[in-house]
Amino acid sequence: MDIDLAAPGFERIAGKTPPLDQIAHGLHFGEGPVWDRRQKRFLWTDIIGDTIYQWTPGVGTTALVHPSSHANGMTFDREGRLTVAGWSQRTIWRIEPDGSFTTIASRYQGKKFNSPNDIVVRSDGSVFWTDSAGGLVIPGMVGEDMQRQLDIQGVFRLTPQGEVALVVDDVTYPNGLCFSPDESILYVNDTRLGLIRAFDVNPDGSVRNGRVFHKLTGTEAGVADGMKCDVEGNVYCTGPGGIHVMDPGGRLLGRLRVDGHCTNFAWGDDDWRSLYYTTYHGVYRTRLNIPGVAVW
Amino acid sequence: MAWQFERVAGPYEGAAGGVVRDGDAVVFSTIDEGKLWRFDSATKTTTELRRYANRVNGLARGPGGELYGAQEGGRRLVEFTPDGRVVAVDALLDGRYHNQPSDLVVDRRHRIYFTDPRHPVIPFGPAIFPFLDHCSVLRLERNDRHAWVASRITFDTVSPRAVLLSPDEATLYVADGEPREGQGRELRGYPLRPDGTVDHPSVLHTFGADHRGPQRGIEGMCVDAAGNVVAVAGWRRNGPGPLVYVFSPQGAVIESHPFPADVPNKCCFGGPGLDTLYVTTGGGELYRAKTDRRGS
Repeated sequence: MDIDLAAPGFERIAGKTPPLDQIAHGLHFGEGPVWDRRQKRFLWTDIIGDTIYQWTPGVGTTALVHPSSHANGMTFDREGRLTVAGWSQRTIWRIEPDGSFTTIASRYQGKKFNSPNDIVVRSDGSVFWTDSAGGLVIPGMVGEDMQRQLDIQGVFRLTPQGEVALVVDDVTYPNGLCFSPDESILYVNDTRLGLIRAFDVNPDGSVRNGRVFHKLTGTEAGVADGMKCDVEGNVYCTGPGGIHVMDPGGRLLGRLRVDGHCTNFAWGDDDWRSLYYTTYHGVYRTRLNIPGVAVW
Repeated sequence: MAWQFERVAGPYEGAAGGVVRDGDAVVFSTIDEGKLWRFDSATKTTTELRRYANRVNGLARGPGGELYGAQEGGRRLVEFTPDGRVVAVDALLDGRYHNQPSDLVVDRRHRIYFTDPRHPVIPFGPAIFPFLDHCSVLRLERNDRHAWVASRITFDTVSPRAVLLSPDEATLYVADGEPREGQGRELRGYPLRPDGTVDHPSVLHTFGADHRGPQRGIEGMCVDAAGNVVAVAGWRRNGPGPLVYVFSPQGAVIESHPFPADVPNKCCFGGPGLDTLYVTTGGGELYRAKTDRRGS
């Protein structure tokens, strides 16, 4: 794949010519990528296609959940259960070992969530997600009830005690989120404003000291959407033209150029050095030199 | 009898949209604010019914009292249910999404006719689905499995803005055309055939143009008990100014009434005697006037 160098050090991450493999095509809106280290398979969602897919190297692609209630972001919790930002289902839900579905959060202060967008699990088992309202609006992505109830589009977490807490209340349109490798910083991006914010994480999972970490630049297709960190703390975020890579200080190192509109990405394979990414219509894979933060 | 209009609500931010009777009150939308309001004629108070309606313009009642809206921002019709949900009235036209519905009317068989033009404010979210290659009147009805299905009714419209049924439901009135170069602005009456298709329309009224540009045509209309078409049209920029017209079913202008605010948008009869005309405006207001006519 093509890369744009913006600062020294990017070639150490991406090499000169990262490889590019196509994993899937013909999607309506690819999203939700996550690597399943237990079953050595890659999962993603097609939001408009209403399906969660799985792809196993050497085997191929099959539908895992259909219909998926337009599921969006996905991750695994500490017990290895697929945990889903339910988007137009307006819930956080997971798949149990016996294959059944469990809703683990659906309301804040008695009001339905907007449409949980992307999701990450912290080492204490708490679940964090962004709650933008696009799943109440966008053609092809809405569910059975489009009435928005919350006046904010926030970041929430489900505590290990099972309580829903508001983490960030002042994002315009929260979308991607991730922790730094040591979980001391929570990054949240804002699609509407095209920027990434950073928050210091308190031991109890609340945050403080919100500040602008990086403002995305570029005029090509793509917005602030999926976002994750590698093990050195570099921050990867979708944006105009592909995947933007920032060092821990917020400086742009370079871009992985993506044809089409990149929506999200996830590291995978045993060494966590393969970067799988989704676009509206496909799934692709490249290889990088620094592993991503592993998913439970 | 001169109709003396008084402003009873607003101005709100941006335009006000559809208005429908709700007992002795009326319900109206404010498009840009994304809200639905209820104006109580007895107490002259306005209360907020819904927010986050995502640019709902026209409103209409179904035969069972259902409240439907034309959601310009979501490219669909929606139903506001009594239990507080917003439900997509979802049906694609031959697999393709609607443009941006602006007005609607429901017949006694629960078939929904709606205008499907484009709007300068583009829909929220990723532009996945192209617009239709036509702007027409479409119709939704439930099939034998209770699913909504869509069909195209007009094949000769350029930008239909308002739609209405005669009391006997034998004529479909359509206001077509926006005040732009290259578009005529007409009030048409389409005979409805028993099979649900329409015959060649009669042009009942035509709006002109001069050196100041095209005159603004009809944006909203309702029917009186005698079967006449009460329509709001015009603006201060040119022509005769903002007016409320009363057209006979054959298109004779029976009377017209100057309207005190610019760009009147939609209208309906309401009040205890059904003899009060309510009119919304592009300036985000709700007006009313006692008339010598009754709604149907």
